[in-house]
Amino acid sequence: MKRYETEVIIIGGGVTGAGILRDLSLRGIPAVLVEKDDIAYGATGRNHGLLHSGARYAVNDLESAKECVSENRILKNIARHCIEDTGGLFVTLPDDDPMYHTRLIEGCKIAGIKANEISSKEALRLEPHLNENIMAAIWVPDGTVDPFRLAASNILDAEEHGARVFTHTEVTEIIRSDGTAVGVRCKTRDNDVIELYGRVIINASGVWGQHVCSRAGIELAMFPSKGSMLIIDYRVNNIVINRCRPPADGDIIVPGDTVSIIGTTSRKIDYDRIEYLTVDDDEIEVLLADGEKLIPNVSRTRALRAYCGVRPLVAVSGDTEGRNISRGIVLIDHAERDGIEGFITIAGGKLMTYRLMAEQTSDLVCSKLGVKKACSTHKTHLPGSERKVRPGMNIKAFTGIPNSVVGSTLYRHGQRVHNFLTKDKKNYRLICECEMVTEGEVEYALKKLHVRDIVDLRRRTRVGMGPCQGELCAYRSAGLFHEYGSATPVESQKLLRDFLEERWKGIKPVLWGDTLRESEFTYWIYQGLFGLGNIKE
Amino acid sequence: MAYDCLIIGGGLAGLTCGIKCLSEGLRTVIISSGMNALHFSSGSIDVFGYTRSKEPVNRPFDYIDMYTKERPDHPYAKMGSAGVREAIDFIVPQIARENLSLVTNGDENHFHVTGIGTLKPTYLSQPSVYNERIRAAWENREPIAVLNFEGYRDYYAEMAAEQLKKQPLFQGVDIFVDSIRLPYYAPTEKNLLEFRSIDLARVFDTEKYLPRIAGEIVKKAGNARIVCLPAFIGIRDYETIHRKLEEMTGRLIYEVPSLPPSILGMRLDNALKSRFAALGGEFSIGDTVNGGEIVSGLLDHVHTCNYGATRHRSKYYVLASGSFFSDGLRSEFNKITEPILGLTVNASQKRSEWYSEHFFDEASHPFLGYGVETNARLNPFDASGSPVENLFCAGALLCGYDPIREASGGGVAIATGYKAAREIIGLCRGARA
Amino acid sequence: MIKLENISFDHCLKCTVCTIYCPVAKVTHLFPGPKQSGPDAERLRIKNPELVDASLKYCSNCKRCEIACPSGVQIASIIQEAKWNYVRKGMFRPRDFFMSRTDLVGSIATRVSTIANFVLGLSLVKFFMEIILKIPMKSVFPSYASGTFVNKFSRLRKSQAPYANRVTYFHGCFVNYNNHRLGRDLVRVLNAMNIGIDITDEKCCGVPLIANGYLEKAKKNGIYNIRSLSRMQRANGGKIVSTSSSCSYALKHEYSHFLKLDNSAIYDDVEYITKFLFDQFEAGNMPAMNPVPLRVAYHSPCHLERLGGVIYTIDILKRIPGLDLVILHSECCGIAGTYGFKKEYYQISKRIGSQLFQLIEHVNPEFVVTDCETCSLQIESNTEYRVLHPVNLLAMALESMPEA
Repeated sequence: MKRYETEVIIIGGGVTGAGILRDLSLRGIPAVLVEKDDIAYGATGRNHGLLHSGARYAVNDLESAKECVSENRILKNIARHCIEDTGGLFVTLPDDDPMYHTRLIEGCKIAGIKANEISSKEALRLEPHLNENIMAAIWVPDGTVDPFRLAASNILDAEEHGARVFTHTEVTEIIRSDGTAVGVRCKTRDNDVIELYGRVIINASGVWGQHVCSRAGIELAMFPSKGSMLIIDYRVNNIVINRCRPPADGDIIVPGDTVSIIGTTSRKIDYDRIEYLTVDDDEIEVLLADGEKLIPNVSRTRALRAYCGVRPLVAVSGDTEGRNISRGIVLIDHAERDGIEGFITIAGGKLMTYRLMAEQTSDLVCSKLGVKKACSTHKTHLPGSERKVRPGMNIKAFTGIPNSVVGSTLYRHGQRVHNFLTKDKKNYRLICECEMVTEGEVEYALKKLHVRDIVDLRRRTRVGMGPCQGELCAYRSAGLFHEYGSATPVESQKLLRDFLEERWKGIKPVLWGDTLRESEFTYWIYQGLFGLGNIKE
Repeated sequence: MAYDCLIIGGGLAGLTCGIKCLSEGLRTVIISSGMNALHFSSGSIDVFGYTRSKEPVNRPFDYIDMYTKERPDHPYAKMGSAGVREAIDFIVPQIARENLSLVTNGDENHFHVTGIGTLKPTYLSQPSVYNERIRAAWENREPIAVLNFEGYRDYYAEMAAEQLKKQPLFQGVDIFVDSIRLPYYAPTEKNLLEFRSIDLARVFDTEKYLPRIAGEIVKKAGNARIVCLPAFIGIRDYETIHRKLEEMTGRLIYEVPSLPPSILGMRLDNALKSRFAALGGEFSIGDTVNGGEIVSGLLDHVHTCNYGATRHRSKYYVLASGSFFSDGLRSEFNKITEPILGLTVNASQKRSEWYSEHFFDEASHPFLGYGVETNARLNPFDASGSPVENLFCAGALLCGYDPIREASGGGVAIATGYKAAREIIGLCRGARA
Repeated sequence: MIKLENISFDHCLKCTVCTIYCPVAKVTHLFPGPKQSGPDAERLRIKNPELVDASLKYCSNCKRCEIACPSGVQIASIIQEAKWNYVRKGMFRPRDFFMSRTDLVGSIATRVSTIANFVLGLSLVKFFMEIILKIPMKSVFPSYASGTFVNKFSRLRKSQAPYANRVTYFHGCFVNYNNHRLGRDLVRVLNAMNIGIDITDEKCCGVPLIANGYLEKAKKNGIYNIRSLSRMQRANGGKIVSTSSSCSYALKHEYSHFLKLDNSAIYDDVEYITKFLFDQFEAGNMPAMNPVPLRVAYHSPCHLERLGGVIYTIDILKRIPGLDLVILHSECCGIAGTYGFKKEYYQISKRIGSQLFQLIEHVNPEFVVTDCETCSLQIESNTEYRVLHPVNLLAMALESMPEA
């Protein structure tokens, strides 16, 4: 058993936990983060990656809209390399109530969102693949954000300021002494036990917050709501397309790196199902049908995979019936609520407001610890975002390496590409040919970005996220785990098998057409040619 | 009518069928849409590899007899083990005429080593994958060197070696790993975007570097009797190169298939196509058959993408258009069809039934067993359910078997392709008489 | 803004087969291969046009990748489109300009053919061509005929009047300016089958324009040709035939797939000549032929392979009595239209063709036969052998006929 002491322990490696870790580290407070799986494993990595302008909330939830407006501005500055300033459109289709269009414009005005009514013709010029029959359009400053990168660079920055991170380490017990939470006992993936002691423990585990609280003997009711999304093989749109109607299933298409994502459904699920989520066939049908209404090309394009996440909605003020669910930020000091000192839960909120949530939580921590240092996360650039990322300008610095490699890597790591994209042979060896991931990038991720398996590697680099879903790159990556000392050869075979199983989860719901052809081919290779299902461990 | 036999699909089934037809003097044309799936195969030919309980099959022909009794819908049931054997006995010497020998272990299966070091049962292999000397060396538990070429990312010797050590057959055998550097191959390192098996196969094909490669192998192989290399020691005249390399190194050179493209499979493809051409067959590859018309139980004509309304006619037709990968079968949102002629398929029309829970499920996946239904003569059924008597189906297009779970893909392709040819030859003779 | 007209890249399964059959990737590592330059990179270019790699210029548009693809991805078209969408544009490129204007250059050169051929052969001229136009000194240019085929045909026009069955002949630039004999032989062959020939106003089919990035000009030519050919076709009610595999491919497929023109008026009637002859022979209209006791080696051009037309040429050749026909293993000759005439690709082009050249020398025929004009230039300038068109051979089979 290993034992560590620190000031603050954060449970949960989602973007909120990562944000808190960074905030505290920038304030000079020692902190350790524990994550049961991987960074951005939960809801952080399971949404459509919209950088809200706030317009989506402008009609029904003015407070959220205002939060989005200010966080949108901040993120566009501090997290440039995780963000694409695509702009967004709200389009009204013939079936939609035209009044919503008017209400949205008014709401945006009140919230301070720069929304411009534009002609349908202009909208079609901006986004040529839009449904030609749109009735009206509003331009809003939406964008896209890559949540994996956002969480990972928060972690990276925190570590560079002295923080520690344990991924694939699950908290099994909140250690209490009298009425105070003093530490956590954890189990690693290899079944080692770690004990961490600190003065404040923060539960930032999203939908698992209920579970973590129960380990401290506290009741906290989460009301999990499942949202499913569909990934389209390539960017069918370069601007975020929203349907101008009250929030409903299938009302948005977000371009994200090389793909487009159709979102989102909303289904209430039981808490005990949160680990066993599947996308239902009827959800796929709804998403495709509604997606096609926005961009007709959707129906002619391969659906790469479907996935779902759980919105971590919390019942406030002891409501166990779920009538009073908050969609806003919920910060609970359990000393006040339950009489347990040194234990805080942060929940609710959304990807957009992760930094604000981290700031509020850290402020509370500071007041508990008596530290008087102000938050600086709103003005300090994340690692990789120090300078503006403009591929056109930056590509030239890497003469000799193909633009496609430089540009793709810049998208993923911003200025940090300089740390590994050298003229070394490694950077001419492509591991993932769909997303242009080089051996050099894999090495960097393995050594610097807490990558323990190929699924983690995918979150850091996009390995296996392209059209072939890992057909060539999975094997190539597995070998590198061994070469760079992250796994034994037989372990890397298991990683390979597990990765393909993980990919299969998202492929199954969309298994038709080219996706089925691709799967048959992948099965030929990995089972027919390699017999990967028959390995001896 | 110009053609006796028009074959749609230029894979193992189509080519076997074509070669048999030509050998009996029929005028035969193949229209193939792109390259076939041999390019991704192990290059060995499986006849029947696994029982239903996933145990390796030892004597495939005996097993066929047993299995088809229980499963009369299996394609093998249409010709029985004797028919399968006849087909293989026909095609092996044809391939050998093009300088590619296929070796068997008598009537029994043998193993080949996969790219990750597992063992797979198969029936016919190229001599760099199975031969008497290799078997003897295995049985004598001689040391094995697993070598790779530095920088080659489509094969990892360590993975293969460590997994191999865990196989009961190789437990305790001295298996070690090393890598070979090819400094004179440096220019290509500038563009490792395309550093694939095919690039290295071409280096071997020139034979120019053979002595130096052999020197490197000897340096790294130590006391090993068997040297495993990723499979790219030449394509065209590979047996000569293999022999030379064995002479130069004094070792047995064993080939392990790596990620696609599969050089082992390409050799088979080359040999079959050369044989087909040598016998006077006509092979069209840039065009795709995309439809046809069945008139009163007979396929009247087919048409292609590039020739629009033009009708292509032949006395007999063979549909060997492959599975989903090759677009011989097509899946839509909740529908599985045979896209060229709309033939009756045996498949669930409910998507959630097409696949298994896990990717590496013991039961494989139901969709792999889907395909076109035929009668005993391999005639398919049209949309109305009546047999099309001048059309025969062969290969992965057929239903009733799972090529991966059974390890039977190659055998079924050859046996059904051959059977289709036999039927057509019989009909042609009948017409002549 | 993304232009998404050719979304066939979406079908790519990353199976790597195209990389095996790419003749350019085979001989040079400057080209990352069709998979990378085509479907893989297209997704990235849609995301951000700046991610375009300069290496895609090495694609020769031979289309062997499309032939190999089991998924119907129009790989070469994707690369060509990317090349001209993202790479330099607008600049005046004298070499590309002149090379792509086969009809302009041809019409001038044929007027002064003796001088043109003489001048093009001068080493001083070649030297300046290498310096200024970046055309390698060693290039052998097609020699220009004196006058045009169109002019010569005007004298034959009357003789075509009696035939009830007629076809429209799209002769193309090469027959018009360089190889009258092929045109004359076609007239002879078709007349022997009781078919008369019409020709109509035509412009270059556009293949060299496409290859050099003059897409607008190619479209203009395309529209002109579609209009002119459909008018003539309506008048004579017959097929439109071409003796050039590349012209046929352009009229039928490049017009609709690549230039997005509506060629439905002529689509079903355009035939490469051997397909037309195959259908006629099959229908019983085959001229009596005398033995042609020659040993010939047939080379199948890439674009005819793509068209799926090779089987018809082989069928026609097989019907010529006495012919000792050797079918060469299908390999790209390396010229790919104007590709092999350019300094930066000259060596690549020769290396691509070397296997074919060796094969020809190994077979040692009396003639090489091929359907494509630039293939024949490449073979003639890199081997000792003369090259014939299948129609030339058919005409020979008729020639040795004693007059009835």
